[in-house]
Amino acid sequence: MTAAAADVALKGRVGDPFSSAWRRRLPLLPALLYSIAVTQLPFLVSIYYSFTNLKDKTQSLIPEPTKFVGIDNYKQIFSDPFFRQAVWTSVQMTVFAVVLSLVFGTLFALLLDRKFLGQGLVRTLLITPFLLMPVVAALIWKQQMFSSLFGLLDKALTFLGLSSVQFISSHPLASIVTVLVWQWTPFMMLIILAGLQSQPGDILESANVDGASGFGIFRQLTLPHLRRYLELGALLGSIFIVQAFDAIDVMTGGGPGSTNIPYYVYQESIGGGFRYGSASAYAIVVVIFSIIIATFALRVLSSLFKDEERA
Amino acid sequence: MHEASSGSARKRTMLIIVVLIVGALAAVLAATASARPAAKTISVAIVANPQMQDIASLTPSLFTAKSGIKVKYTILDEGKLREVTTRDVGSGGKAFDAVMIGPYEAPQFGTAGLLHDLTPMAKADKTYNYGDLIPAVRNALSAKGHLYASPFYGESSFLMYRKDILAKAGVSMPLHPTWDQVATIARKINTPSMAGICLRGKPGWGDLGASFTTVLNTFGGTWWSSTPSGQPAAAQVDQPQFKTALDFYAKLAQDAGEKDAANSSFNECLAAYQAGKVSMWYDATVAAGLLEAANSPVKGKNGYAFAPVEKTKASGWLWTWALAIPKSSPDPTDAWKFISWATSAQYIKAAGTHTKGGWPSIPPGTRVSTYAIPQYKAAAKAFASITLAAMKAAPITNPGTTKRPGLPGVQYVGIPQFQDVGNRCTQLFSSVIAGSMKDSDALSQCQEIASQAIK
Repeated sequence: MTAAAADVALKGRVGDPFSSAWRRRLPLLPALLYSIAVTQLPFLVSIYYSFTNLKDKTQSLIPEPTKFVGIDNYKQIFSDPFFRQAVWTSVQMTVFAVVLSLVFGTLFALLLDRKFLGQGLVRTLLITPFLLMPVVAALIWKQQMFSSLFGLLDKALTFLGLSSVQFISSHPLASIVTVLVWQWTPFMMLIILAGLQSQPGDILESANVDGASGFGIFRQLTLPHLRRYLELGALLGSIFIVQAFDAIDVMTGGGPGSTNIPYYVYQESIGGGFRYGSASAYAIVVVIFSIIIATFALRVLSSLFKDEERA
Repeated sequence: MHEASSGSARKRTMLIIVVLIVGALAAVLAATASARPAAKTISVAIVANPQMQDIASLTPSLFTAKSGIKVKYTILDEGKLREVTTRDVGSGGKAFDAVMIGPYEAPQFGTAGLLHDLTPMAKADKTYNYGDLIPAVRNALSAKGHLYASPFYGESSFLMYRKDILAKAGVSMPLHPTWDQVATIARKINTPSMAGICLRGKPGWGDLGASFTTVLNTFGGTWWSSTPSGQPAAAQVDQPQFKTALDFYAKLAQDAGEKDAANSSFNECLAAYQAGKVSMWYDATVAAGLLEAANSPVKGKNGYAFAPVEKTKASGWLWTWALAIPKSSPDPTDAWKFISWATSAQYIKAAGTHTKGGWPSIPPGTRVSTYAIPQYKAAAKAFASITLAAMKAAPITNPGTTKRPGLPGVQYVGIPQFQDVGNRCTQLFSSVIAGSMKDSDALSQCQEIASQAIK
């Protein structure tokens, strides 16, 4: 293109790609296209797969070309007892882990909210579990704590004269929840600590002057103030913990009481099942349910905030 | 004038934008293109067993120094390795130039056209010496006369026991024991500080699945019945023989098994046996080399017996970890150079003098010539001949009492579905061993999994 021709092109009409509005958008376009390409296209492809009986190449020694199977994969979900088990495990794992890490998080936050010697060190130590990679955390717990050959817990039990417990194999859910709580308590603690530090000091002071007991102040003043922080922690915690995968893969490799929904979808697909068709259907059902539950949870939360304002 | 200057400014801005976009694209392309360094480096995925760790540490001095080819090892445990190789080989990924697989995968991947046929290279390569490979192992890795993987070590399964402990208890182990005899002895010598027997209980078709399936076979059970053409016909997990085998295995592990049996496999049992925490161990013959190794605390204290039987004549498995070149390998020529070195008779000899374990811990069971090395014959006196006999006796074409699909194969069913079924069912069986699940529940759920898989 010659310079003159380019000039003519640049003068531009409304709606042509060189108008000033478009020039502002143009640099963003690659990022937008990239986001669409890497997030939305795979999802659409998954939806398509969920209506087929797609299997892995290594699994196709019995000749069976990929074909369209309609809603068969979706029908199968509701008759699959293993999927139901996985849903129940997911629910238990998430609820226990979130509730326990909230309780411990609150306790540690209350501790850190006061001034004492070595506060900075304690704070750092308390946050550390959250900075560890989940795989590393799970490995540490598996090999150094729960292991019956060289685990600390086993050593402690033997020292106390108690018989040893096969933590991971006999109590897979409890073991995994323990690791999740250990990892997520600092996260809850930070959120609640922020809440505690935003509490106006004069109210607490006047309550003190009025002769309220420490526990009374906590129950009547601090807890209501913390409510929205607790709710936020519960919501974010649930979103993250429901996706737990690392701890399960490292510690038990699946099984009753430890295969949750993400792990089951993994087993169905790249984890050995290689039934991409039905795995896609499971994944999509999970996405739909997550959207419903998340919407519901957010609505409950916002209505709670409104109630509080009214009261 | 004003018009013109704003026009040229606009032109400049446009130019900058275009240059930036083109530059970004070029950078992305360059990054993907240069992801593999130009220097000669090959990537190899291997299983995390002691002999493989030996070769990984010897490679720089013995192979790279001579050939100039760097080898990047990815060392994974058995289950993860399978997952990674199945995914990479199956989808034509380019992550690995050579992968370690076994006789379960080699014929299946090979006939599906996912692996390079090694026969021409192996036969042309004089130093490799194709004729020296043990025939049973070579056949297990071949399909229709094409060799798809070169064996690194070969093994059967047998029973290892502490002669001193058995003698102290006043019992003796026959050379060809039955499972009932083994169970009786295990319960008799079992003490709180030293378990009677170490059995694999960790979920995974190659872990608990392998040990248990040899027991299942000899108890007369099978995973699936077979159609006349050798395809799976119906799941047989709900049959009484299957229940008898599972109950026997789980009960033995609970009564006289190692601590936390539901979480133990080869490496855990090896550690427990070497630490003197178990008196007997039913596992791969390759373990014997590690028990008798120069640096082993239980060296010279062990007796060996053939895999225990019940209704069949032999029950030992046949397995080999072997190196294969995926069709998607970016550098098959160098990959073959590596494989022909790693699985050669020369490497076996080098391992005898260069590793900490010494001669007993060399990779066994792949070459006839290994059993003619004088130093090895002397060092492995206790187990070399029984290993070779067990490998020859492994009933790979007729492992049980009924006709079954997926032959040859002893401790696995050679059909693609077995990987998933074996993994998920052994998770259930592992829970039975741990005592957290009833055998009847595990069996009915496993029957469901096994039937669904072949639908």
